[in-house]
Amino acid sequence: MKEQIPVIQSEALAQIASAADERSLEDARVSVLGKKGTLTLIAAGMKDVPKEDKAEVGQLLNAARTAISAALEEKQTALQEVADQAALAGIDVTLPARAVATGALHPLTLIRDEAIGILRRMGFALADGPEIEDEFHCFDALNTPADHPARNEKDTFYFDSGKLLRTHTSSVQIRTMETAKPPVRIIAPGSAYRRDEIDATHLSVFNQLEGLYVGTDVSLPDLKGTLEYFLHELFGPQTEVRFRPHFFPFTEPSFEIDVKLTIKGQAPRWIEVAGCGMVDPAVFESINKTRKDNAFDPETVTGFAFGMGLDRLAMIRWGIKDIRLLIENDVRFLKQFA
Amino acid sequence: MNISLNWLATHLDLSGKSIKEIDDLFTFAGVEVEGIVSKGIASEKIVVAQIMEAVQHPNADRLKVTQVDAGEGTLRQIVCGAQNYKVGDKVPCALPGAALPGGFTIGETVMRKVESKGMLCAAAEIGLPAGEDGLLILPQDAEIGKPVKQLYDSDTLLELEVTPNRPDLLSHYGMARELATLLKTPLKPLDIRGAGVSPAANITIESPNACPLYTAVRISGVTIKDSPTWLKQRLESIGLRPINNIVDVTNFVLHELGQPLHAFDAAKLTGNIIIRNATDGETFLALDESEHTLTPDDLLISDESGAALALAGVMGGLTSGVTETTTDILLESAYFTPQGIRRTSRRTALSSDSSYRFERGVDPQGVLTASAFAVKLILETAGGTAEASTQVAGEAPALTRPVALDPAKLDQLMGGSISLTAAEGILTRLGLTQLADGTWNVPSFRADLQRHIDLVEEIARVHGLANVPSRFLGAFVPASAIDAAYDADMVLRRRLAALGIYECQTIKLIADSQLTDALPLRPLQDGDVIRVKLPLSEDHAVMRPSLVPGLVASAARNVRQQAKSLRFFEMGRAFRNVGGGKAKDQESETLAILLSGGTAPTGWNQSDRQADLYDLKGLINALVPNKTIRFSPRERDGFTLGCDIKADDQTIGLFARLKPSRERELDFTSPVFVAELDLTKLRKLLTGIEHVEDLPQFPGSSRDAAMELPATLPNADIEAVLAKCNEPLLIAFECFDVFTDPTGEKLPTDRKSVAYRFQYRAADRTLKAEEVDAAHQKVLEALTQKIGVKFR
Repeated sequence: MKEQIPVIQSEALAQIASAADERSLEDARVSVLGKKGTLTLIAAGMKDVPKEDKAEVGQLLNAARTAISAALEEKQTALQEVADQAALAGIDVTLPARAVATGALHPLTLIRDEAIGILRRMGFALADGPEIEDEFHCFDALNTPADHPARNEKDTFYFDSGKLLRTHTSSVQIRTMETAKPPVRIIAPGSAYRRDEIDATHLSVFNQLEGLYVGTDVSLPDLKGTLEYFLHELFGPQTEVRFRPHFFPFTEPSFEIDVKLTIKGQAPRWIEVAGCGMVDPAVFESINKTRKDNAFDPETVTGFAFGMGLDRLAMIRWGIKDIRLLIENDVRFLKQFA
Repeated sequence: MNISLNWLATHLDLSGKSIKEIDDLFTFAGVEVEGIVSKGIASEKIVVAQIMEAVQHPNADRLKVTQVDAGEGTLRQIVCGAQNYKVGDKVPCALPGAALPGGFTIGETVMRKVESKGMLCAAAEIGLPAGEDGLLILPQDAEIGKPVKQLYDSDTLLELEVTPNRPDLLSHYGMARELATLLKTPLKPLDIRGAGVSPAANITIESPNACPLYTAVRISGVTIKDSPTWLKQRLESIGLRPINNIVDVTNFVLHELGQPLHAFDAAKLTGNIIIRNATDGETFLALDESEHTLTPDDLLISDESGAALALAGVMGGLTSGVTETTTDILLESAYFTPQGIRRTSRRTALSSDSSYRFERGVDPQGVLTASAFAVKLILETAGGTAEASTQVAGEAPALTRPVALDPAKLDQLMGGSISLTAAEGILTRLGLTQLADGTWNVPSFRADLQRHIDLVEEIARVHGLANVPSRFLGAFVPASAIDAAYDADMVLRRRLAALGIYECQTIKLIADSQLTDALPLRPLQDGDVIRVKLPLSEDHAVMRPSLVPGLVASAARNVRQQAKSLRFFEMGRAFRNVGGGKAKDQESETLAILLSGGTAPTGWNQSDRQADLYDLKGLINALVPNKTIRFSPRERDGFTLGCDIKADDQTIGLFARLKPSRERELDFTSPVFVAELDLTKLRKLLTGIEHVEDLPQFPGSSRDAAMELPATLPNADIEAVLAKCNEPLLIAFECFDVFTDPTGEKLPTDRKSVAYRFQYRAADRTLKAEEVDAAHQKVLEALTQKIGVKFR
């Protein structure tokens, strides 16, 4: 037996070494360590070993078992290694991806969210109002004379009911002040409508962002600081901003705001981005009349308002040459914003 | 409005001012400069040259090689293609370095192997009005070498946008007056001799409200002919066409002083002038030969014959105007109130330079000045004799009144950026004068200055916002419900984009024909659709009652561009009247989603799978993952597969597939699935959880069951039984297979096999197998009893 054990051991090690795959390795294990395996069988002969030899034979057996088990494990690891390598061989990492469907927010949403984000950070809260408006909120309360050209059926969409599609989001100023009390600090994004033929620079339905801040001691410096800060956040801190005197019925004084646009390879140019002004006292007087109180007393309350075209901001931001791209929803256009 | 810089310069000294400075000056006066057109030759390097020799180009049939004398001592060789000159002619020669209009600069070149050192120019090539074909032939006495620009007047035309509150700027004099204020330079005095006035024996004003002041002066023995060159050039410089001396003078005065005038042929008048309202239905033939039916709201200049001579302030009549045979004229200068002119102009769709000014408001004090000025010019250009005095009916209305300036309010609004002295200086320069009581008297041409704030506006405008400090302050205000809604909408938008859907923006005015695709949250009844009164086109006539039509149109457009995968959403308002055409309009905010075609981009390892209704259902569930989305069938007109969309038990919107016939009509090649969801409800479902649930401490067990049931039995029936079976250990179930056999071999064709996996678990212990089996048995029995399924 003492002689048999080393023979079994070396035969087993040779069988293990020659195993080419997991299956032959398993066969080798069974043939040596299985129930009827050679080492198992010889180990069964321990009981017949003379007492004085038992320790020695036992040691031999253990050493053989340890060596065989180690070899099995080592071979197992090696075979696994080979199999792993085979599994990875031939994978071409340069083949194209399995594409995942992408989606995107509309550029108008992107620019609106950016603008709203800045203004909310500056403490403005959102407000809204109906798009189907009455003449009072769209014009009268905004100090617009009854025969103002904008009230023309050629320029404004009317309904048989006498109502109209708001021509600007400024009506939300009125809607808000009718119920709120100063300080009012709101922004109102929304659609506005004008009877303009649709072409590369006009839409009959377009998007505006309105702002209003009313309180005690709101002044031109507040208007200027607020809009400068906003435009610097939107267009970059170095952007030049200028305020040109203008006229709106519901603000006085009124200004249009230009930013100097610098596009690589182009001469810098002033681009109009917004209108603004100090709320005309006549607007407050009208509000008080509707409210039947004096919450917006023009003697003590002042405010500024501003409005800008979001479609236009999007066009400026991304160099969109035709405004119709914003409503045609061509995937080739939308994809660029993914 | 067009302003000629040369003309403007007759009123104030603009020398040394660059176009850019003048542009800024207007801009910061509140006058938008919409265009600047330079007329005449700009470059000094375009000089008079004499052609000394012209020989055929050796390599080109149509070209000649010329030697020209440009006054440089030596001759210059230039290749030229023109045919209209002869040797000895003097022509413009652009020397190398000359910049031509159109932005290119002349250099020395080689043309077909022959050197050419400059360019001989045609009129249009150097910025002059295009003349005959070929080179511009200059007068023989032109001095060789002299810049050609010295031979031609140059001018700059400014296209300006004047805001409606500033009618006083609608003339060259008015504009000059404003610039003089801003530049702090004096205005050259107007040389107008005041005419004598007499009460109007021959004028009757029947409508003093519409016409408070009417003046007329008769000039006899005029000769109608072409205007003198200076007058023609003035009119041409602002784009007007000269007609004859009388008409040209009235047009000139209008653009000089802003006061519209009208000249009648006195021979065509019968008796007194009568300013009256039109009778209802009265017709008027305007000088542009258009015919108009009038209303009593329209004001006419008439006479004792009752003829409609002119539509007051808007346009003269065809038969009463000045013609070549006119010898006596009656010159009208009047003040008509803006509102009436505006109404008439709008109603008749007639507008003119005259109505444009009257409807904004002319200076009532300027009526007689303009008349006197025109009389002087008519006598100069047409001869004749004028009546000694101008007949005046009515009187100039006082449109201005003294206004007080409140220094404290001024200081508050301006942030203390201007002293009272400086502010008062601005008012003074603008022509206001301070009265003894401290209030400010406003000149008659500034009727827009009525209130304190109007004075502040002038001060702020002239002072400039650039000189006002910036302040960065603001009140704290609470967020609104709109803020919350906006945030929720942005969450939904971002989720949809992350799920591979493109956001759209469509026009809210749609075509009647698109109503077919509308999937409003509540069915439309008669009168619920809102139509605009005067649509721009049939394509944009109806307020969208649903967002689906816009998405369908967008998807169809993309199909035409060969897009394979159509995955779109839009959020926004839908419009309708309250049910039953009660004509109370309602705006609701909805979310629409459209899926059609490929679910993902295809590739070498990805096959094309077409979107089906379960994709859209899954998408909606992904928007509100904590709710169970169920579709419950409900037919919708114009659609197939119509369903209510339920989140748990609440209906939140509608789902449908377009009718296959409609899909074919729009060239869709795969089914189009759409959903419209009520945003107000959807937003509420986004509110996050209040507290987390503990994770289970004990393992659960699952059991599968395949059941056979009628093919038509909806899955919802199974789920309904399971939801109500009241087995506390059943914590979840899922359908993992649906099998049908169209051949009928393994299963009759009217039957289906549905496989479910049931999850059982108890919160407080590991379940024993017998407990799970018992619970499972109870569930299966419930299914058997309630809907008669058979287990396989």
